[in-house]
Amino acid sequence: MTVMKTSMRNFFAHKGRMALSAVAVLLSVAFVCGTLVFTDTMSTTFDKLFAATSSDVTVSAKGASDSGETTSDNGRPPVMPATVLTKVREAQGVKTAEGTVFSTSVTVVDADKDSLSPSGGGPTIVGSWNGNDARTMKITSGAAPKNSGQVMVDQDTVDKHHLKLGDEIGVISAIGTHTAKISGVAAFEVTNPGAAIFYLDTKTAQETLVGRTGVFTNVNVTAASGVTDAQLKKNVAAELGGGYKVQTAKETADANQKDVEGFMNVMKYAMLGFAGIAFLVGIFLIINTFSMLVAQRTREIGLMRAVGSSRGQVNRSVLVEALLLGVFGSVLGVGAGVGLAVGLMKLMGSLGIHLSTSDLTIAWTTPVVGLLLGVVVTVLAAWLPARRAGKVSPMAALRDAGAPADAKAGRVRALVGTVLTAGGGYALYLASAADKAKEGSLWLGLGVVLSLIGFVVIGPLLAGGVVRVLGALVLRMFGPIGRLAERNALRNPRRTGATGAALMIGLALVACLAVVGSSMVASATDELDKTVGTDFIVQSDSGQLVTPAAVKAMKDTPGLAHVTEYKIARADYTTPDGKTLKDTDITAADPTYASDLRTKTVAGKLADAYKPDSMSVHEKFAKAHGVHLGSKIKVAFKDGATAELTVRAITSSDVVIDAGSKYMSIATLAKYVPADKMPLDQLVFANAKDGQQDAAYKSLKSALHDYPQYTVRDQTDYKEAFKDQIGQLLNMIYGLLALAIIVAILGVVNTLALSVVERTREIGLMRAIGLSRRQLRRMIRMESVVIALFGALLGLGLGMGWGATAQKLLALEGLKVLDIPWPTIIAVFIGSAFVGLFAALIPAFRAGRMNVLNAIATE
Amino acid sequence: MTSAVTITRHGGTGGRTAVAARARQVVKAYGSGETRVVALDHVDVDIARGQFTAIMGPSGSGKSTLMHCLAGLDTVTSGQIYLDETEITGLKDKKLTRLRRDRVGFIFQAFNLLPTLNALENITLPMDIAGRKPDKEWLARVVETVGLSDRLKHRPTQLSGGQQQRVAVARALAARPEIIFGDEPTGNLDSRAGAEVLGFLRRSVDELGQTIVMVTHDPVAASYADRVLYLADGRIVDEMHKPTAEAVLDRMKDFDARGRTS
Repeated sequence: MTVMKTSMRNFFAHKGRMALSAVAVLLSVAFVCGTLVFTDTMSTTFDKLFAATSSDVTVSAKGASDSGETTSDNGRPPVMPATVLTKVREAQGVKTAEGTVFSTSVTVVDADKDSLSPSGGGPTIVGSWNGNDARTMKITSGAAPKNSGQVMVDQDTVDKHHLKLGDEIGVISAIGTHTAKISGVAAFEVTNPGAAIFYLDTKTAQETLVGRTGVFTNVNVTAASGVTDAQLKKNVAAELGGGYKVQTAKETADANQKDVEGFMNVMKYAMLGFAGIAFLVGIFLIINTFSMLVAQRTREIGLMRAVGSSRGQVNRSVLVEALLLGVFGSVLGVGAGVGLAVGLMKLMGSLGIHLSTSDLTIAWTTPVVGLLLGVVVTVLAAWLPARRAGKVSPMAALRDAGAPADAKAGRVRALVGTVLTAGGGYALYLASAADKAKEGSLWLGLGVVLSLIGFVVIGPLLAGGVVRVLGALVLRMFGPIGRLAERNALRNPRRTGATGAALMIGLALVACLAVVGSSMVASATDELDKTVGTDFIVQSDSGQLVTPAAVKAMKDTPGLAHVTEYKIARADYTTPDGKTLKDTDITAADPTYASDLRTKTVAGKLADAYKPDSMSVHEKFAKAHGVHLGSKIKVAFKDGATAELTVRAITSSDVVIDAGSKYMSIATLAKYVPADKMPLDQLVFANAKDGQQDAAYKSLKSALHDYPQYTVRDQTDYKEAFKDQIGQLLNMIYGLLALAIIVAILGVVNTLALSVVERTREIGLMRAIGLSRRQLRRMIRMESVVIALFGALLGLGLGMGWGATAQKLLALEGLKVLDIPWPTIIAVFIGSAFVGLFAALIPAFRAGRMNVLNAIATE
Repeated sequence: MTSAVTITRHGGTGGRTAVAARARQVVKAYGSGETRVVALDHVDVDIARGQFTAIMGPSGSGKSTLMHCLAGLDTVTSGQIYLDETEITGLKDKKLTRLRRDRVGFIFQAFNLLPTLNALENITLPMDIAGRKPDKEWLARVVETVGLSDRLKHRPTQLSGGQQQRVAVARALAARPEIIFGDEPTGNLDSRAGAEVLGFLRRSVDELGQTIVMVTHDPVAASYADRVLYLADGRIVDEMHKPTAEAVLDRMKDFDARGRTS
């Protein structure tokens, strides 16, 4: 009980000194809980949505995915003949059955031809207005569409784009562009996270999306009372025989949920990963706090030992304090986590994904996980300092208090650290030398972990050298104050090492990703310059295929030398070695593609692959399947006939763009695949006539004005777009790493604040003999800057090493150019100095405010 | 008797006044109303230049407070304090700090040195802070005087208590301050080490012409001074010139007895 009492008293006596540790625990726990609450809420929202929108039993075409996703290569949804509906109606237990048509392979534009598609990555759905949707949506104004001139739009899209009844809307599908006026607006009764939905009448939907009437994508069936969904499914399936997909409401909802879950899990685990990094950084802060509290309390602990406390009791008293801290920080963290989740929901709202706080889901596991994690991590982090407290000898009570003696970093530490770092370095070397990506990435992972731990262990030893060098470079110009700051930073290398290491972790990841990202951009640019001969690249950034009408518009554009279409077909191959490869891609392009992308060949000429009934394979494929020039390969096209194609070129496998592609001409494909089953273009390339680049660029852009889903880019645009994409990704990751860096900054503040407390008498003495407040503050700021720069130097060095290794490894995958983004690296380094200045603000202010006499008198 | 003003302000030694520091009607009170405690009660005192002055008195007599106020470490409630001709009462922190740095030396009872600096660096610290170059000859003489020549590269933790206090004395002397204040500088030392340090202080007055004010409760320490001031209840109650340890002890026993009877 006395243990508990002393712990409680110590905890509350030093609550100020614990504050920053509590904030670190709070932040990490809040991030974990926030992530869980946020993803659970998203789950709930989708659950409700899918549960509401699924009919009792849904029948769809065989080619449709389980979730009813209605896209295919040819831009038309897989359909069933209308006779299915009549058959379903005959099945036992059917109350109603209704045929519907839906497609997501569409783009919807307003009268100005601006896209109405969601910006948050949600789907654009165009379909027939039907009883099942009428069940979950309420028409808020106007009326449902009755003829081909009318369209009904969902409320969210109307609100977002300020549409009103009577506005003209264009639906662009593979068939063509259909225009209609808004006749009504319908609102979801559950939360619609971000889909844009447009309803046509059934006949118009069939004509617009499929190109003919008498077909459905789905048949929605409702059960008569007393018939279960499973029973109904059985009856309907029995009536239809094979050839169709029949699913209960639950199966449809589950399949839908699975689709979004993939995306949500990526987000969830990525965010939890960053929370983990924050926890890791927080551990350093907690260790430092308890080490300093134990050091400051050495005399007190000695006294307790002298009057009879056992080692265990002293040890436990520190751990109980950690427990209190953990519980306190975690409870606040759980609360803050819920707030964070609501904030994230608001943020997603501004990105176009709507979530409602009425769906806010806090699973019972969330606070439990948060509390457990926070408490366990805190207590574990306090373990070492607690052990050290237990080892304090009773004699300590009799010794002079003064400043704690220099904690010399031990020889064991040096040995362990060097071995780990060397091991990590060797693993990184193996990773860079590996010729198999999979094996190399294992070495890389091992190397990263070992070198990180090695640096953490060896950090206090490096602190001596690095701080001296930094001191010589940065601090000496500040004269004796700089020297005092340097000595203070060197005084307890273990503390400086741990504080710097916390910052090191975050910055190492920043540097590593900056190197990889910048190498990606440099490699891509290099590759584009070397191999791409085309002037313009046209594609949809949301993954829509290029419709025939858009292709025609491009072909009609003046000033173009040629336009190259590029399709991906799917087929089963039978190679000369007798093996069959199922459902494999083949690239079908116009012959001009051979000059648009200059792919090297190892045998034959690539242009020959575009001759009738010819194709090319790549080197690895040829070796694996015993294919030579002149070999014949049987190619059974999906939705088409079987062809026997002659291999007329073998391309190099050592390429980046289109790696692993086999090529054939569109003309050959057209011989075997019927026109309405032909896959749409993935990309379209265009070359301007000599000297007309600028004019052609402009006319191509205006030719595609009516198709806002496609972007025209020349080579410069393309490089920029890629750079932006990488930049955005990096910024997002930096944003998430900011949490770890904030915790690390708190660590620097914490170390300085506790050091100032610890050095009260010293500060008093210096003030007494004439150190001005300004000089004192400067001394503390410089100590902080040196610690921050130490962490930055280690982190950036380590991170650049990781990044360079990753580049060497990924050179196998086309990351051929190593590009170290020096401006970023130097900016981060200089930024760290400012972080140091910032971290010292409050400690320096408090030190300056100390009363000289009280400071001298402090025991 | 609340005054110890017995020295003429202008002595025979050239232009400088014979008084290094003086206090006029200094009051230092803590708290207010019923809880008001007066630590210094209208004190007048002159500290003679080139002399070794000891301030004695029982605990709570205000002796340390007087020293802190004279040294510009503490503020007064009312009255004036002059260092040479400069009035330091009412000075802002910035000016006070500079004054302490350039014109005053300190020796505290304990924890006099920065553990991160070696002996020599500690000695030159006030000048380093001021950005002044130490006078090499003078520094060598000071180091020689306190007998630290072979200990200059040692860190404070590697020095004995007596050696540490000698470094503190050297630091106080090195910057050639107008006045050195000692707050029980030998309080933590055994009698031999204490005698050593006091010997240095005496010599620095005799040989270097230094002005020293020392707070102590040890009659032996006080016997090294030229003049002893006695404080009780915030007032100066007596003074003694050319004291001996016995005389001081007797005088203190006197006060003790008077204190008990009153």
